[in-house]
Amino acid sequence: MEQNKEMTAQESLALIARTMDSNRKDIIRKGGKYFILWGCLLTIFSLLIYFLWKTTDSGAWNNLWFVMPIVGYGLSWLLQRNEETEPVQNDVSRTIGNIWSAFGIFACSVAVVFLLYSKFGSSAIGAIVAGASLSAQIVLLFGLAETISGVVLKNLTIKMAGFITGIGGLATYYFVGANEEQMLLFTFAGIVLAATGLIVKRQYK
Amino acid sequence: MSILAGVDEADFTYLKKQTGATSGNLSVQIDKLTAAGYITVEKGFKGKMPRTTCKITPEGQEAFRSYVEALKEYLSAGK
Repeated sequence: MEQNKEMTAQESLALIARTMDSNRKDIIRKGGKYFILWGCLLTIFSLLIYFLWKTTDSGAWNNLWFVMPIVGYGLSWLLQRNEETEPVQNDVSRTIGNIWSAFGIFACSVAVVFLLYSKFGSSAIGAIVAGASLSAQIVLLFGLAETISGVVLKNLTIKMAGFITGIGGLATYYFVGANEEQMLLFTFAGIVLAATGLIVKRQYK
Repeated sequence: MSILAGVDEADFTYLKKQTGATSGNLSVQIDKLTAAGYITVEKGFKGKMPRTTCKITPEGQEAFRSYVEALKEYLSAGK
């Protein structure tokens, strides 16, 4: 009788642990597809802008970046709509979402500040400096967001990828300079983001 | 409760899928937990489809934590 009761308690605990763990992994794994989605979009947009900039010799194609969030949120909405159930959040998925939302807000704000400065700024040199460092600032922000995601997900590869993309991207930018080649930094960042999604899917299988 | 303890909130369909319970069985469990004050239930619509969302209360979290602690103590006492 005692043995039977003990087994029942053990089974209850094991069931609780299994359910919580499986649920936690399930939620985080589902978030992996959004990394892949945004990573693919970043890669496609950076290559497209690089190609257009190179062939027409016009940096105005950078305005296409403002289309990416619209496409991204649209596709995210479609992905969510096709889900069987409503998206469920836990601490990890919510934190990851907040990190990348903060990145998005900062990246867009930096770009808007640059645009306003380049149009209305009093100093032409200042506008050139602001424009020249825009990609560097965004790639650094990206690296930071990626590294913090790695910390939250407890994954060394993601942490290292964030550091390499951020700091390596900044250093590369200083070598490449303010021309269309800088778009390839974002191509690399996009590949890193998509790879992060694949790592998340595998780690939380 | 194991599922709700680890998430912000979850809808009926999600809970049904995760637990593998039937709709009837799950409804009974939800009613009991609501009556005990362990979860709150919000009924609404997603488009034209009805949607029931469940969320664990602080009392529910505490009761769940106490239950797990009691199980652990029971097991360690038996060793």
